[in-house]
Amino acid sequence: MRAPTSSLRERYPEHFQGFGRDRFVAAAIGFALFALLIYAMGHLGFFDGTLLAGFGRLFEIVGLMLPPDPGSWAHVKTFSVSLIETIAIALLGTLSAAVLALPLAFLAARNVTAQRVVRFLSRRSLDTIRSVDILVWALIWINVVGLGPFAGALAIMTADIGSFGKLFSEAMEAADRKPVEGITSTGGSHVFGIRFGILPEVFPVLISQILYYFESNTRSASIIGIVGAGGIGLHLAEAIRTLELQQTSFIVLMILVAVAAIDFLSNRLRFALIGRRGGATA
Amino acid sequence: MLRLEGVTKSFAGKHAVDNATLTVPVGQMVGVIGRSGAGKSTLLRMINRLGDPTSGRILFGDTDVTALRGRPLRAWRARCAMIFQQFNLAGRLDVLTNVLMGRAFHMPPSRALLKMWTDEEKAQALSALESLDMARMAGQRAETLSGGQQQRVAIARALVQEPDIVLADEPIASLDPRNTKVVMDALQHINRHLGITVICNLHSLDLARGYCDRLVGMSAGRVVFDDAPAALTDATARDLYGLEAGDVIGHAPPMALPAGAQPGFALAGS
Ligand SMILES: Nc1ncnc2c1ncn2[C@@H]1O[C@H](COP(=O)(O)OP(=O)(O)OP(=O)(O)O)[C@@H](O)[C@H]1O
Ligand SMILES: [Mg+2]
Repeated sequence: MRAPTSSLRERYPEHFQGFGRDRFVAAAIGFALFALLIYAMGHLGFFDGTLLAGFGRLFEIVGLMLPPDPGSWAHVKTFSVSLIETIAIALLGTLSAAVLALPLAFLAARNVTAQRVVRFLSRRSLDTIRSVDILVWALIWINVVGLGPFAGALAIMTADIGSFGKLFSEAMEAADRKPVEGITSTGGSHVFGIRFGILPEVFPVLISQILYYFESNTRSASIIGIVGAGGIGLHLAEAIRTLELQQTSFIVLMILVAVAAIDFLSNRLRFALIGRRGGATA
Repeated sequence: MLRLEGVTKSFAGKHAVDNATLTVPVGQMVGVIGRSGAGKSTLLRMINRLGDPTSGRILFGDTDVTALRGRPLRAWRARCAMIFQQFNLAGRLDVLTNVLMGRAFHMPPSRALLKMWTDEEKAQALSALESLDMARMAGQRAETLSGGQQQRVAIARALVQEPDIVLADEPIASLDPRNTKVVMDALQHINRHLGITVICNLHSLDLARGYCDRLVGMSAGRVVFDDAPAALTDATARDLYGLEAGDVIGHAPPMALPAGAQPGFALAGS
């Protein structure tokens, strides 16, 4: 037997509110955002026919891209070397970003760093790094170290320190505090708590984030190649500019295959590093 | 000897533990009982200093535990092992590493952080695991073990601390009757054969009666009963537990031992 609805409503009025003020405000904000979207699309010319007209041209271009064709065997060789360079840029940039971000993430995580000032400073510096896009970093580094893959790797590194720092520190903050408490209760110091309580738990998360960024950076690395920071992007830009559309699609196809291969290998690597959940590690 | 003098802990103005005064002589096995929310966990956590009292003092011998900071505080925690309801192990680490954490206070971080254990340390951990029939699982990840096995790992971690006191916060609350017996027997062995003081929060009154020399009853943060188990009448118990009384009285798990029984230690495999 449960208490009558009316008496429960009386005792817990906050849970019985119908279409409350909060929900009205949420609906109003949602509607306003939608209206803004429509207005902005109109302003950018989404509705005045250019888009429709453009569609025809899009199909034309796709038609010209088929079938993918590198042109000559020599091209295949240059493209392959550049693609490997792109992957190397991505790998180097991602790994160095991860290595540099880890200590910053420790400083920014609330359950690791008790000092509020230190935490605030490290978070703000991570924000600052993150607010500059990878393309901008590429242009900056080209000015510093000159054109080439080194500038590309540096651009990826600087852009990703900010993202990694944020993601890593959030993973640490989301970690269960029970293992840390267990270690604290034995008289272990804070460092032991971090090393044996937090780190093992966040390790798989960090690994999968790093591997995902490596994959995604392989794509970014082809973009920053366009501005001259090394890799396949240079050839891609060249092919598009000279309207070698079959070559363009060939390069795109190569990037696609490379990213798929990286995805496949990184999954293997991830399971090798962290072990399947529930399996023994003995 | 452990002494609590007027220990109070409040959360946002509400007293979770209210003016608790208690003296526990060396070698006693004390059961802390009371309904959910009575303040049992809060009390135990303050003894280990996982929580700080709002007022009052906790003394061990001549040491004022509540005044400890830094390294002396960690030295105290090392002497006063804690066993948790949820085991509080590092799930992704293997059993041996988890047990070795019981030596964390005594290890130089320079090598321990690289998991470079001495043979001596490993031998101590393995022998503790062996006494709980868990040595065969030393290489396995803690999260792959059953609840009862995990709690035995946690007890092994407490043992390698070579503590003066073991605090157990509802150590059997998430275990089945068989594992309940294994864990309670292990705590009884620690108390009787190693002479370590055990303070154990228990929800089940029958278990508390069967295993403890002394019962401390808490209600709304206050110590309202403190005597031998025999002195706890059904009426007092009903008072203590209120609505929950039906759950905790007269439903003895079939394998609970009567007080005074002397179990062997390596029971786990039997
Ligand atoms: N961190 C906290 N913040 C706020 N209130 C808390 C906190 N910890 C405990 N309390 C409150 O203190 C009171 C005592 O809690 P405690 O966990 O000590 O009870 P307990 O006797 O262990 O109960 P149980 O048998 O359910 O474990 C409860 O009312 C609880 O809500
Ligand atoms: Mg509790």
